[in-house]
Amino acid sequence: MVLVCQCIARPLHLPALREMFEDRKRVFVDLLKWDVPVLEGRYELDQFDGERAVYLIAADAERGHAASARLLPTSEPHILDTLFPELCAAPPPRGGNVYEITRFCLADRQGAAARLEARNRLVSALVRHALDNGIRTYVGVAEMRWLQQILAFGWRCRPLGLPRPIGGRLLGALAIEIDEETPALLEASGIYSAEPLHPLEILEAA
Amino acid sequence: MQSFERAEAFLRDVVGTSSENELADALGCVARDLGFDHFALTHHVDIRRAPRTAIRLHNYPAEWVEYYDAHSLGVSDPVHRASHVTSVGFAWSEIPRMIAMTPGDFEILSRGEGKGIGDGFTVPANVPGESNGSCSFANPKGVPIREDDLPLAQLVGAFAFEAARRLWRVRAPAAQAMPKLTDRQRECILWVARGKSDWEISRILGVQHETVVQHLKQARERYGVGKRTMLAVQALFDGSISFNDVLKR
Repeated sequence: MVLVCQCIARPLHLPALREMFEDRKRVFVDLLKWDVPVLEGRYELDQFDGERAVYLIAADAERGHAASARLLPTSEPHILDTLFPELCAAPPPRGGNVYEITRFCLADRQGAAARLEARNRLVSALVRHALDNGIRTYVGVAEMRWLQQILAFGWRCRPLGLPRPIGGRLLGALAIEIDEETPALLEASGIYSAEPLHPLEILEAA
Repeated sequence: MQSFERAEAFLRDVVGTSSENELADALGCVARDLGFDHFALTHHVDIRRAPRTAIRLHNYPAEWVEYYDAHSLGVSDPVHRASHVTSVGFAWSEIPRMIAMTPGDFEILSRGEGKGIGDGFTVPANVPGESNGSCSFANPKGVPIREDDLPLAQLVGAFAFEAARRLWRVRAPAAQAMPKLTDRQRECILWVARGKSDWEISRILGVQHETVVQHLKQARERYGVGKRTMLAVQALFDGSISFNDVLKR
């Protein structure tokens, strides 16, 4: 199941999100050594986590949070325009139908095969969420070490500028165009999963 | 220094191309603009054993390619090996700091130099579940590499490799199908990779010795291999287990 969580004023109050913030701390702070804030020594949350963020969370019954991503509206301040404007050669796409993918996180306690599966579920969910909500373009800042994998998903991806070494990592800005053909492109790459998306509110009411 | 527009022009040339020659021409052209005489986009395999499914596009000197293939350097080339320990582009001058070099490795590099492949920049192209690959740009010895253009070479290398993958996928669709392992089989393989015997694995997992024997037998059948070492290598290769899984703890 993939959860869609939005308009959440106090994200730490929800168990599904709390687990995600804990995994984000393990992945981004402990493993990848990003210099980002940590709450109570356990949760990785920054100024962009809040009511405007949309979270997609691939979870499974026994193991909980498996993979997640945070989407930020580009009509508001986001990572690319606030922290890394130098990665774009021209003003990047922005507006109501452009969202930024941030904090793409694969929980590290699963083995390699489970991580790949969770990755595929999350990428598929990103595409379906875009199609369901009129999002035409995703933008994002990526470490160039992941670029080959991101391209191999099969979707239409283009660079927004030259990569640059920042804080010891080679970073680049990318745009991904989503349309009705995108699911078939993922399918052709062998990564598409047609799993349904569940808004979080419905589950809580149930 | 080339501007970002050069990368965009290259992408316009290659996105959706259905012709190897077009891709090779576009790559040769952008390589020249980046200050390189040569390029080689390749899977790291013995090309004589997998000529139809492996990717290779290049404009290296014919004499060097002949020597290279005759000695199956596709799998032992120090440039290729170095590209397995990083995921971002590196200059060849970095290689001795990246992998342990043998006298044979130094000989390969100096032979390449003699054939006009002296110095270069390689972008690793590693996709889980597929052969490792790379896109290299090279010059004769003494022609300096333009550091400023390497970020552009990085982008070009990655996008070129993906364009080649899409061309080749059409040719080898069967390569997509991966054997599926059960969780228990995978767990057993993980311990095989760590050097444990069937009996030891049965103690670790708290199951019967015979159960482990059966799990591993079925796993070998799925991959069509006879030996436990090959089983572990295959599972690493297709991403069923990772080096991190094997090495942690």
